[in-house]
Amino acid sequence: MLENMPSGVIAGGWNFVVAAYSITAIGLFLYAWSLIRRTRQQAKKEEKS
Amino acid sequence: MNSRFLRDHWAGLVAVALLVAGCYIGLFVAPAERHMGQVQRIMYVHVPTAWNALLCFTCAFVAAIGSLWTGRERWDATLVGAAEAGIVLNGLLLVQGSLWGRATWGVWWDWDVRLTTSLILLLLFIGVLSLRSFAAGTERRASLTAVAAIVAYVDVPLVYFCVRWWRSLHQIQSSPATVDPAMVLPLRLNAFGLMFAAVWFIVRRARLELARRRGGETALPERAKMIEVPHA
Amino acid sequence: MSELRSQTLTLLAKDLRLEWRAKARLVAVAVFGLLSLVVFSIAVGPDSKALTAGAAGFLVIALLLSSTLALAESFRIEHERRALEGILLLPVRPGAIFYSKAVANTLSLAMLAPGLSLFGVVLYGVELQPANVVNFFAIWFLAAAGLSAPGTLYAAMTSQLRSRDVLLPLLLFPLVVPVLMASCKALALALTGDPMRQMQSWALLLLCFDLIYWSLGGILFPFVIEEG
Repeated sequence: MLENMPSGVIAGGWNFVVAAYSITAIGLFLYAWSLIRRTRQQAKKEEKS
Repeated sequence: MNSRFLRDHWAGLVAVALLVAGCYIGLFVAPAERHMGQVQRIMYVHVPTAWNALLCFTCAFVAAIGSLWTGRERWDATLVGAAEAGIVLNGLLLVQGSLWGRATWGVWWDWDVRLTTSLILLLLFIGVLSLRSFAAGTERRASLTAVAAIVAYVDVPLVYFCVRWWRSLHQIQSSPATVDPAMVLPLRLNAFGLMFAAVWFIVRRARLELARRRGGETALPERAKMIEVPHA
Repeated sequence: MSELRSQTLTLLAKDLRLEWRAKARLVAVAVFGLLSLVVFSIAVGPDSKALTAGAAGFLVIALLLSSTLALAESFRIEHERRALEGILLLPVRPGAIFYSKAVANTLSLAMLAPGLSLFGVVLYGVELQPANVVNFFAIWFLAAAGLSAPGTLYAAMTSQLRSRDVLLPLLLFPLVVPVLMASCKALALALTGDPMRQMQSWALLLLCFDLIYWSLGGILFPFVIEEG
């Protein structure tokens, strides 16, 4: 009977952990990339003018 | 690597190093929490994101006061950088919080104090930046952005207390003294890692803003250039 | 201080006369508020219990929606014949312009209260106890003041921009979340009775919001209007 009782620990959940970490990493990476891209565009524009 | 690259990107490099170490320890070294199990590991990235998002908005608030006070363009550029970095971190924060809520409370969203406050904060600063994008004239744009940022930031404690009275279900804040030392290390590493990342974001974005300003004042308008090309 | 007060009063007289002359606009705003009340009851459906339960919230949302119209109008008419530029030529403190506009907006929003609440009583089947009438209108007034102070500031900021009609609600709605929460709760208590004496704390929160944004608006308005 006791074996069937929930232990009070949330089982599993690794998929949520992986999702949270990877979304954060991707989000930060994309923003960093957009900054670099925008800076490059601006530099190109300045070269032209 | 030349010295210019290092000078421009040192904060980003430090951030990557700290974040890789922090996430590695948080994911594989730190023990699973007694009640939350593996889901607790979201906290090692969630809590530092929350701290740094708030730090960015505070930085934007200080820059807004500086911008109104002195009228110097550096403050204005910092304000834009900090607001944008804050929006990015706050957006990620909400996604993490939503995943955490689904894993522990069984719902994607709950109208709890900090979740609601950070959502409102995100909407407020999105409003500030969209106001900026519509304003014409550099000085006018700077003063409107600064005023809107101050008005928005002052709202945060009010929203916080209001939602707290409204309802609450969030985890009680735990200070580092009450948790396992193996859990404190990834928290600290990620907090400083994200802080350096935020510094890098703000500096890059501010530089870009200053460059755009210089370009906007001296360069010919786009259309004029397009007409010139065939003659050349 | 007395200079600011006398200038504010003079400008307020002008603003109120303006509002009075454009009665049609005020009526249009009120009709818009009533219309939104009707729309809510269509959305929530013929279930009268759900309507009664949400009545306070619907009234506050109707006030919020009408406020964006009234606020945007209040500065549009100033720019129409460059009236604001004329005022700025006079030795008037910018703060006085803000306070007169904000008071005029508060008063016109507060005037919506009797009409909207009467409609709410009819449509939603709520009962306003005679003992709570004063509380109800006091809360409504505080909410109107809370919407007007940041709303007037934002209306002044957006009145000359291209997409002002989109920007004003985009900026104002998240900002006034405390006003919405507090006034929804407090008005609900005024309608259903307040056995736990909670209304005072919500009213206090509204008052705090009002104090903060009425002072902040006066401080920041000069920066907004300078190059206007």
